[in-house]
Amino acid sequence: MNDSPILLAEDNPDDVLLTRRAFTKNGFDNPIIAVADGQACLQALLPEHGPAVDPALVLLDINLPKVGGLEVLGRLRADPRTRIVPVVILTTSREPRDVVEGYRLGANSYVCKPVSFTTFVAVVRTLATYWLRVNEPRPRTGVVP
Amino acid sequence: MRQRPGTTGAPAGLRSALTPTAVAVSVVVVVCLLDLGLAIRAHGDMAHRTPLLSLPPFVEVLVLVGTSLVALAAATRSRLALIRAETARVGADEEAKRLLQVIDNSPAVIYMRDREGRYLLVNRRYEELFGIRREEIVGRTDFDMFPPEAAADFRANDLKALASGAAVQAEESVPQVDGAHTYITLKYPLTDIAGRHYAICGISTDITDLKRAEEEANRLNAGLESRVRERTAELEASTRELDAFAYSVSHDLRAPLRAVAGFSELILEDYGSALDATGRDYLSRVVAATTRMSRLIDDLLTLSRATRAELSWRPVDLSAMARRILADLRSAEAEPDRPMELIVEDGLHATGDPALLELALQNLISNAWKFTAKQDKALIHVGVERLADGGCAFFVRDTGAGFDMRYADKLFVPFQRLHSVDDFAGTGIGLAIVGRIINRHGGRIWAEGHPEHGAVFRFVLPERRPVLREGGTR
Repeated sequence: MNDSPILLAEDNPDDVLLTRRAFTKNGFDNPIIAVADGQACLQALLPEHGPAVDPALVLLDINLPKVGGLEVLGRLRADPRTRIVPVVILTTSREPRDVVEGYRLGANSYVCKPVSFTTFVAVVRTLATYWLRVNEPRPRTGVVP
Repeated sequence: MRQRPGTTGAPAGLRSALTPTAVAVSVVVVVCLLDLGLAIRAHGDMAHRTPLLSLPPFVEVLVLVGTSLVALAAATRSRLALIRAETARVGADEEAKRLLQVIDNSPAVIYMRDREGRYLLVNRRYEELFGIRREEIVGRTDFDMFPPEAAADFRANDLKALASGAAVQAEESVPQVDGAHTYITLKYPLTDIAGRHYAICGISTDITDLKRAEEEANRLNAGLESRVRERTAELEASTRELDAFAYSVSHDLRAPLRAVAGFSELILEDYGSALDATGRDYLSRVVAATTRMSRLIDDLLTLSRATRAELSWRPVDLSAMARRILADLRSAEAEPDRPMELIVEDGLHATGDPALLELALQNLISNAWKFTAKQDKALIHVGVERLADGGCAFFVRDTGAGFDMRYADKLFVPFQRLHSVDDFAGTGIGLAIVGRIINRHGGRIWAEGHPEHGAVFRFVLPERRPVLREGGTR
């Protein structure tokens, strides 16, 4: 069980609240660090000074203020510190160009947020189970090449 | 039928005797004999002639014939020369008259000028056009006739023809009473016996109307092109707008909807016990409405994507596609054992965009599935049939609720529903998506139905990609 925090890049506070609720409802107690724009997301993961957030998983919305989600992803993949951090795009966009661009930039998954909360809870359960329980976490020691 | 030899013409001996040489010799002989007769008459009786030489009479006859022939030849030659000279004189006058007639009746302006640009001759068209008689114009130049710029222009073309020694063609603008006329002019040097270019002949044809028509056509074309450019730009702009709209619909409209649905469900879950049955019913309705709206947004996005997506043309097996769709529907069905007859004909081959055609077929078959849901034993038939015009139409036929043909034209219009939501759920966009997809392929779709007696949707797809380029802006 990976109990590292989850970094949630989401500008809609309703969605932040519903996502937190969906995680706890499924019995996952990992701290959820919410950032409301792309700039804040990059700041948390690639700070110029001070300690970086080292999350078990990044949940990234595409439509983020300041720096868009896809650009955030591109910068994360370009930096050795975050090159292999798991990033799941969690968005409402089903636009094929977004999906393709997301995968091209190195997203580990692309998941669409359903409108129904019941369905969303089920989606979060699947995601959290996979990334926090099934999937082998990346080693935290040593510098990532 | 076989022909007997020798019956097709003169006998072989006679035919060879009629060669041109033989004929010529015969003529000479006849002429000689005639001439001999004349000579005898002129010199008197043969018997009274003083023989020049003491030669045998047949030799004398021969000499006589010879000298007569020479005399005759000389006489004929001189006579011929006289006739020729006379003919030449009369012919030259006649010829000049005829040629003048030719040039006078020409609708083109024809003129002759010497090397210095002085007029030698003009035709009647010139006389009429510029109000001058040809006797009066001789000796004048274009500088006496036209404004200096025009005259200089004409003179330059004259000199060009003289310099090149060959015909030159030029467009000349000629000021006339009713304004400037455009002429297409052919100018060529005339050569005297010594081979000297002594004059210029010009033939000018008025192409003003042609020119105007051409300019008008150019103007219209340019206008058309700029209109097409404008319209294309407009279409591209509206496509971009539609794109941006679809994008924001998918992002921005769904977010608040998710909040409404999510928190309503959370109230039901966390505070459901604090509400009475009516309160819980109301909240359930809110949740159900968000689900419908979510589907509506999905369908609208699909419709927009079906409109915008670039078509990729490939062979498509509609039979396999239909079977897959029916199998999926069957497995998603609440009662998978509902007795239904499903017929999918083999070999339903088409050419088109696989993803979009699947979407169309999916909608048609789902429709048939939905509208047969209340029947005990329904039939869905996917097949192909020949039309009266010789073409082939694919069809999806069902024995379901059908529809009133009076509303057939509303079937493919977005949001037009022929049944209440209570009877059959739906957003009213499915058939609009189908219609859009078939139209984008250059095909057509139409439906036939009767209330409670089923419906059949027929569609025709072109055999191959239409020649016209598929615009991404439709």
